[in-house]
Amino acid sequence: MSRKRQKTVQEMEQPVVKLDVDYSTVDTEPAKERPYGREYTQARSKMPEKQLFEFAEYHPQEAERIGYSNYSYWKSVWNNFFQRKLAIVMGVVFIVLFVFTFIAPVISKFDVNNLRIDNDLAFISPNGEYWFGTDNLGRDYWSQVWSATRTSIILSVSVSIGQIFVGVVIGLVWGYVRKLDRFFTELYNFIDNIPTIIYMTLIALMVGKSTFIMGVSLIAFYWLGTARNIRNLVFMYRDREYNLASRCLGTGIRRILVKNIFPYLVSVIILRLALSIPGIIAFETTLSYLGLLDSSTPSLGILLRNARSYFLQFPYLLICPAAIVSLITVTFYLVGNAFSDACDPRNHV
Amino acid sequence: MSEARVQPVDFNARAQQVLSQIPLLSARDVEVTFSLRGNKLTAIRRASLDLYEGETLAIVGESGSGKSVFTKCFVGMLDKNGSITHGSIMYDGRDLTQLTEKDWLGIRGKKIAMVTQDPMTSLNPLKTIGKQIQEAVELHQGLRGAAAKAETIRILQDVGIAEPERRYKQYPHEFSGGMRQRVVIAIAVACRPQILICDEPTTALDVTIQAQILDLIRRLQQEQHMTIIYITHDLGVVANVADRVAVMYAGQVIEVGMANEVFFDPWHPYTWALLSALPQLGVKGEKLPAIDGTPPNLFSKIVGDAFAPRNRHALNIDFLEEPPMYEVTATHNVKAWLRDPRAPKVEQPKAISMLEAQGGKPKGTDPNAYHPHLDPNREELVRVDKMQVTFGNGHKKFVAVNDVSFTIYKGETFSLVGESGSGKTTIGRAILRVNPISEGEVFFRGEKISGKISKETDTKVIRSMQMIFQDPMASLNERAKVDYIVSEGLFNYHLYKNEKDRQEKVRKALEEVGLLPEFSSRFPHEFSGGQRQRIGIARALIMEPQFIVADEPISALDVSIRAQVLNLLNELKKKRGLTYLFIAHDLSVVRFISDRIAVIHKGRIVELAEAEELFLHPLHPYTKALLSAAPNPNPYLERTKKLLIYDPSQHDYRVDKPVWNEILPGHFVYGNERELDGYRSEISI
Repeated sequence: MSRKRQKTVQEMEQPVVKLDVDYSTVDTEPAKERPYGREYTQARSKMPEKQLFEFAEYHPQEAERIGYSNYSYWKSVWNNFFQRKLAIVMGVVFIVLFVFTFIAPVISKFDVNNLRIDNDLAFISPNGEYWFGTDNLGRDYWSQVWSATRTSIILSVSVSIGQIFVGVVIGLVWGYVRKLDRFFTELYNFIDNIPTIIYMTLIALMVGKSTFIMGVSLIAFYWLGTARNIRNLVFMYRDREYNLASRCLGTGIRRILVKNIFPYLVSVIILRLALSIPGIIAFETTLSYLGLLDSSTPSLGILLRNARSYFLQFPYLLICPAAIVSLITVTFYLVGNAFSDACDPRNHV
Repeated sequence: MSEARVQPVDFNARAQQVLSQIPLLSARDVEVTFSLRGNKLTAIRRASLDLYEGETLAIVGESGSGKSVFTKCFVGMLDKNGSITHGSIMYDGRDLTQLTEKDWLGIRGKKIAMVTQDPMTSLNPLKTIGKQIQEAVELHQGLRGAAAKAETIRILQDVGIAEPERRYKQYPHEFSGGMRQRVVIAIAVACRPQILICDEPTTALDVTIQAQILDLIRRLQQEQHMTIIYITHDLGVVANVADRVAVMYAGQVIEVGMANEVFFDPWHPYTWALLSALPQLGVKGEKLPAIDGTPPNLFSKIVGDAFAPRNRHALNIDFLEEPPMYEVTATHNVKAWLRDPRAPKVEQPKAISMLEAQGGKPKGTDPNAYHPHLDPNREELVRVDKMQVTFGNGHKKFVAVNDVSFTIYKGETFSLVGESGSGKTTIGRAILRVNPISEGEVFFRGEKISGKISKETDTKVIRSMQMIFQDPMASLNERAKVDYIVSEGLFNYHLYKNEKDRQEKVRKALEEVGLLPEFSSRFPHEFSGGQRQRIGIARALIMEPQFIVADEPISALDVSIRAQVLNLLNELKKKRGLTYLFIAHDLSVVRFISDRIAVIHKGRIVELAEAEELFLHPLHPYTKALLSAAPNPNPYLERTKKLLIYDPSQHDYRVDKPVWNEILPGHFVYGNERELDGYRSEISI
């Protein structure tokens, strides 16, 4: 503590200043700009000492100014996201992969829709002619793998977006409207208690097998988990004071859900969206294993199923599709995590 | 249970004690920085403080002043991203800043213990109270088995818990807030620490409980010869407990001295401003001397005196250079350029001398003030008739509000005062139709608004009755811009002609509450508590309401900011002819702002009177207890005040049924015939 002895004898001729302010006359209107900041400090630093010890002008609006910079939610989200280099790299790799699924058939020597079955050509290891080799029926594997990748990505991404949309809408209503809680909970229990496999088998047998039908039925099953998750999160925010304030202002349920609650769930929703994509690819593999898929359109699941019987002798049959599935899984996991972290304003500071 | 009676203190004797000692703990030029996502926040900016054996030191400051962080350094409990980057803390011949985590185990809890703010979260809900105290006893005193249990029961008894054997086996949820805080204190003192740090120990508690806890800590201090550091923002608590006071602002100790010196002869402009802004000292109907603005942002470098931009008496040099510590007396130091010999000689603001002279009693009221309820042409705005609100159903029914009736006249401020759980907030919400009422009726301008009402009435009610909320952090939607928040009501009822008209309305509303129009494009978390509260007020005002329910609008705010909001509410009342239902637990605030006050206990209004009348002639024993516990920012009076404890079992309502009775014109009290007779004789004396 640096202490300075204060002079005990003050200069007597100095008048005593009374500091009382008549607060009823103080102008608190936030007036126009006043000099402030660095220039203001510089002007002061040139003052002679005598003036330094005089009372400064008082500007209430200078006290009112807030020290934080201009903040934008989405700008901070992107800034934050772009700091995660690994997620960015993986994201770029994934986009390249997806674009390549469209380029691959063009540069391929075989057309995936017109592959000839020729048992003489079965199990040829990758070479200059067959870049990924051939499968058990002697078909070119390269064109199949890329076509399957494209199908799987399009399927899983659209199913994921579809289930998130349905799940979030139902979850918000389920969580916020107390009267509907019972109804939705029973509905959830009812659907959830039917084993998925039975349900998918029934659809495959009754409606038919096609990629579109499978997409729709996957959405019809996947939204459940999302809706329940969202409902539980809505509980956290439902009774906060700002929602009460909105109710006092006469705000309707739709506006409250969209403006007051949905924005808080964005990071969770994004994470769920990203993580459900690899999940759906994996589930599709299970379904194809059970023969519930339309095998005329190759998907990664179908390729993996076919590779199952031969991969010990011909590992390349497994490695190519498995590597792509792993890449997609890791990418969505990393990107989803990074993005949901970036969406969380607690990380914005 | 016997609490130590408060004795009047002789501060001069205490000062002599302090001067004759070597400090027990001595912090020098401590600097603490936190790193948050690449940004550096300097929470403590070279603060110095001494602690002397056996004293009670209070550290006062608003949130963000660094008072908690500073004391956390004394127990080595800084958050992971924070570190002490400069300075030393000497204790017992060791520098606490250099200790390893292993060294700390011998000091933390054993020598220096801590009591935290929230008794609800500092106990483990899955363990019995006895086990939790016993753990501390076994760990620190080395007792085992039956001996440890006996010691635990002794400690429980010592902190004033009745039936300790039975209580030993109970879980935290079976204890009230005040009892839990007693248990937390019991755990902290179980190992007989030399220094006890109490971080806002009573902030979460009701005033009557607060007074009891402070007495308990005082008694334990005397018995165990502890040295105590209180961290608080409540000047009433400081006046009650402190021998010495340190005022912190923006991470620095700016004034330190004996309690009488800091309260009656302060020299830092911030201390002046804090004390003058107390509503206890305000004149009803006049503006409180509020401190404008907000505390500085510690992320940026602070040049000069941190308080300068908000200081009405700043010198030019305050903006350039940080002032050194000046000595006022041997025990009183202040960090302000005004004490420099070169500075103009000044006299302290008048409010400071008022504090000593009047002892925190208000300067009185303006005799010409207009009291709407006395006006012969008074207009009834809101009438509540026999309201009852129950929660839950069937066997778990809980009556939150019971048979409550009152009338609010146009233009008045009607206050509801009570402790937590008394049902005051429920009444406010029930009037606004947020909570359904189970019995009774509510009228607005003679029209029934409870139960089933038409859509037009509903719209009308929503537009003319609005609410201001307690917690400015929770009551604004963090993910929406101020522009949206303020215009939410406009959107709902399409109360604007076009986009330009809407923006103009938002601008006007923001200006009316003293915020810059440019703030509309920002998000709530960029603002301080007071500014956020004003955004909440603007949101209510834009609907052009006639009646506002203000639910504890200032209790979550810092002392320096409370006055701003109170002034604003009063100003709006004058300008717009608003009527308020003001809900509060803090009596000093209520006295300053209200025309009439209703005291509510356990869902029932026990007394209703004109504000001054209630303070001068309280009748119901609960009102008396509440008034006796109200903190007073004058150390001499606060320490000698007599605490009355209200015991509901003193009423015998078995035969003689209580009634709601107008005992004097405008003064209502709840009681049975025998009690009313007693009250009548009390008045006539």
